[in-house]
Amino acid sequence: MFSGLIDNYTQSVLIFASIHVIAAYSFFAPFKTGQVSLGQAGFMAIGAYASAILTQKMGLPFAVALLFGGAVAGLVGVVVGFPALRIRGVYLLLLTLGFSEIVQVVILSWDYTGGAQGFRNIPFNPRTLEWSIGVIALLMIFFARLERSSLGRTMDSIEQDETAAEVMGIDVVRTKLLAFGVGAMIAGLAGALYAHHTTYVDSTTFNVMLAVEILTYVVVGGGSTFWGPALGAFVLTLLPEFLRTLRDWLELVPVEWTDSFPMNRVYDFLRGFLDFENAKRLIAYGVILIVMMIVRPDGLLTRDSMRWASFVRRKNGRD
Amino acid sequence: MLYQQLINGLMLGASYSLVAIGYTLIFGVLNLLYFSHGEVFMVGAFVGLFLVMYAGTNIYVALLGAMVACAILGAMAFFVAVRPVPKDRPLAPLISTIGLTIILQNLAIYVFGGQQFSFPETIHQTLYHIGPVTISSVQLFILGVAIALMVALWLFIQRTKLGRAMRAVAENHETAALLGVNVNRVVLITFIIGSGIAGVAGVLDGLKNSSVSPFMGLGAAVKGLIVMLLGGLGNVPGAMIAGLMLGTIEILSAAYIGTTERDFFSFLILILILLYRPTGLFGTRTAEQK
Repeated sequence: MFSGLIDNYTQSVLIFASIHVIAAYSFFAPFKTGQVSLGQAGFMAIGAYASAILTQKMGLPFAVALLFGGAVAGLVGVVVGFPALRIRGVYLLLLTLGFSEIVQVVILSWDYTGGAQGFRNIPFNPRTLEWSIGVIALLMIFFARLERSSLGRTMDSIEQDETAAEVMGIDVVRTKLLAFGVGAMIAGLAGALYAHHTTYVDSTTFNVMLAVEILTYVVVGGGSTFWGPALGAFVLTLLPEFLRTLRDWLELVPVEWTDSFPMNRVYDFLRGFLDFENAKRLIAYGVILIVMMIVRPDGLLTRDSMRWASFVRRKNGRD
Repeated sequence: MLYQQLINGLMLGASYSLVAIGYTLIFGVLNLLYFSHGEVFMVGAFVGLFLVMYAGTNIYVALLGAMVACAILGAMAFFVAVRPVPKDRPLAPLISTIGLTIILQNLAIYVFGGQQFSFPETIHQTLYHIGPVTISSVQLFILGVAIALMVALWLFIQRTKLGRAMRAVAENHETAALLGVNVNRVVLITFIIGSGIAGVAGVLDGLKNSSVSPFMGLGAAVKGLIVMLLGGLGNVPGAMIAGLMLGTIEILSAAYIGTTERDFFSFLILILILLYRPTGLFGTRTAEQK
């Protein structure tokens, strides 16, 4: 569908960005009930391995494997979610982190899927971008509806005050478990898409750093509205690439503008400054994270900003 | 064999303890998860390495230098990534210190390249045989420094006025402030002390493994977090003992069960503790009870 329109590099960047968007939604689902999980990378690993076993070992089509990956991750999510119900805050963060590490150890010692050598020769899916965009579209419709549904409001109430919600007759256990399971399932989908794009995964692919990145996507994008995770994941994945492109754009400035003082100095400075290699780009990324949290600790998009955006709709008497 | 493994376990545990002490001190006074601690540990290892290799100092100067450098780094981290960030949103300080973690790690990669550096042999290697156990002079040195540091810290917290102020702030910010404790100053000093100890731990880790790399921070951070929980949040002696315990358990499971399963056990312990004893092994309060 897109192969004629964009070059391979752009396509690859977009694929990773969209997989990150899906992963960000996997964090967002439990986060709506106040559960902060650092285990989403572990669920991605489960989805990736479960789906790859189906396609590579059993020769089943990708669509079946994708659903299977999501289902297995979701089931494991419910199992992990049960003990996770009892704790919250830093404790839950560390529990899910521990879960993720245990998944890594299991992968490392499971010879059927390659063990330490990694899972090789997973069938390549040439339509990853289309699939990912389809999944994102479904997720966005789902979360947009959820925000205004009774289940969504239930989740909000649990996030704000669990005890009060329980007193009001809300089934806190069921709702939190559902949110955790749905989150794990979405992570499984992201993992399955990832595995069939890179065709190779191992125990370090889905590590703690990935889980941390997923968390940053949602917090930076804004965790109170369903646009936040998509925006955060997109911006933070494309930002390093954008920093790379900025320098190419600089070359487009006509020579006559920049060959005399003081513009030549400015040009040289900018060129040197934008000469991003990987480490420097990541340093810039870290700086942006800190500045973001000082300036906008609620993320780029908050409910207030969304309310402002739907100003016109409200005037027409809806909402 | 068993005694030998126990000694190795204590060695490993000593560096876990030192990292966890910083975590638990900072968690105690601020009640927030400070993510950059592992990278402070890594910077300490590099400062020690360069003092030994290029300045040609002996190991004591290197330890002191790493301690001072990391103390300054800790203070900077506090002013850059902790203090300006609003405290009423629990995830904001976490993300900003994650940002700092990324900066420090990539700064190290940028400056030194992504490879490992071997730590030179600064202490003359002699092996002592005590019954069935063999201990090298390096191991004795590491264990000695770690224990001396822990005892000194324990005395500082229990016996000095500043230590008492730290305990008061950990107990309750408002009450401490009302009683005339300068809370902001105490929090800053906690960062300085915790980070200084992490710097020493970094050098000791470099000595033990004879290598230093920009990627050593994350592993230390995760293990430090587990130890902090085992010992109970904000519980300094708890962190000391829990670190030694975790080190011993890891070495024993690696020796008798298998090296792949080693991490499995530490995380299994983490999960069990979280579920059944969130107060830690020694019964401190949980974060919510504060």
